[in-house]
Amino acid sequence: MPLATLRDVGYPARLLPFLSTLIFALVSVVPINLPGFAVVTPAFALMAVFHWTIYRPDLMPLTAVFAIGLLLDIINGTPYVGLSALTLLVARTFVMTQRRFFVNRTFPVVWLGFLAVTVANFALVWALVSMLRGTLLGFRPFLFQAVLTVSCYPVGSYVLARAHRAFLIRA
Amino acid sequence: MRISAPVKAAAQRLALPFLVFLSGMLVVFGKTDNLLYDGLRVAVADRVAPILDAISQPVATVSGVVQSFSDAVGVHRQNAELREENARLLQWQEVARRLASENAELRDLVKLVPQNTVSSVSGRVIADSGGAFARNVLVNVGHNDGVERGQAALTGEGLVGRVAEVGQRTARVLLLTDLNSHIPVEFAVSHARAILDGDNSEQPRLVYLPSKVEVKLGDAIVTGGSGGIFPPGLPVGIVASVSGDVIRVEPYAELARLEVLRVVDFGMSGVLPQSAVPIPRATGRAAKAAPAPAPAPPAN
Repeated sequence: MPLATLRDVGYPARLLPFLSTLIFALVSVVPINLPGFAVVTPAFALMAVFHWTIYRPDLMPLTAVFAIGLLLDIINGTPYVGLSALTLLVARTFVMTQRRFFVNRTFPVVWLGFLAVTVANFALVWALVSMLRGTLLGFRPFLFQAVLTVSCYPVGSYVLARAHRAFLIRA
Repeated sequence: MRISAPVKAAAQRLALPFLVFLSGMLVVFGKTDNLLYDGLRVAVADRVAPILDAISQPVATVSGVVQSFSDAVGVHRQNAELREENARLLQWQEVARRLASENAELRDLVKLVPQNTVSSVSGRVIADSGGAFARNVLVNVGHNDGVERGQAALTGEGLVGRVAEVGQRTARVLLLTDLNSHIPVEFAVSHARAILDGDNSEQPRLVYLPSKVEVKLGDAIVTGGSGGIFPPGLPVGIVASVSGDVIRVEPYAELARLEVLRVVDFGMSGVLPQSAVPIPRATGRAAKAAPAPAPAPPAN
């Protein structure tokens, strides 16, 4: 249990990636009743997993990703508990393989990377849900959520980077 | 306890396949047996509710501020519209009063047994699945407030969905647009029956229509009594598009922006004390559209 050992070591700050991802996951289910804001909300948890996998993969272990994905599935009330866990794990694994490329790149490059990951992620979700239901689902809600997620990434990334600097770099 | 390096390495190598396999199994398991997950979801929702409640309140405040700014911009035009609507509604009120008294007289004449008690409880939406393939909301009322599975959830405008899961202090409402939502409905005028099927789009589909029914744009759709869950006659929406076999209904309720829902117990079991007066515990949103107020008693 990597998380337990982190706590034993006694660095509460090292829980930041996990906690921030957890908060991002919870924020994504809070209803935002802004005029013009659609039914779907950005996939904040994906942003956080992407961010931390690039900058502190050691503090964003697979088990943490799995746990957050599972919690998200349960709170979302989707019929497919485990689906977000699965897709977040896939996203993390993919980002890990490309990590060296993204570290120390400028923000637009990272953003472009996030675009690719998000599109792949939603394509996977769409394919899996369509398969589980046995019918091809309309692609529009998925596309819309992907666009929304990518366009909200700068904000999410900014918040995470600030937290990162404030709590993890000082040491 | 120290774990030897090779064991640790092996565990790390196996973690990914194991967790991916586990997630996959959980998904497959959920397709065959939902009972366990239902319990789990309810339990987690109840625990997380205070946190979500805490997060959603400032968010609601901010949205409210933004909303009032955007309202301020259109206030003049809106005022004119409301005045017009008010005039129209006053006419309806007049009509309703007349009908109510006539109805009472007729009931008296035929010695009709009074309607079952209609009691309702209002809950705030504290979570919104917001996903691309699930349309449901979590409201902060549950068993403790008398909410039961299968009850209808309404806004002032019309039907929103039905209660799918109930915890002690939360309830999950499956919206009309969810893939798993199938609600028996009928045409308000012709009484032709159909099923309203959510298909993940903003406008659910009408299916299983009798073949001879003529469908026009703007036909009003209300709940049908055939499911035995909802009382017949609750406003649902209007036919928004007809193309070939595909008939889509635009719900009256604005499903993308739900704030307060009224979960209504229509006492379909008929064991509650009889009085025909609705007992709202908190005020819902005011009715906006022309159709009859939400708990419309079936007119016989």
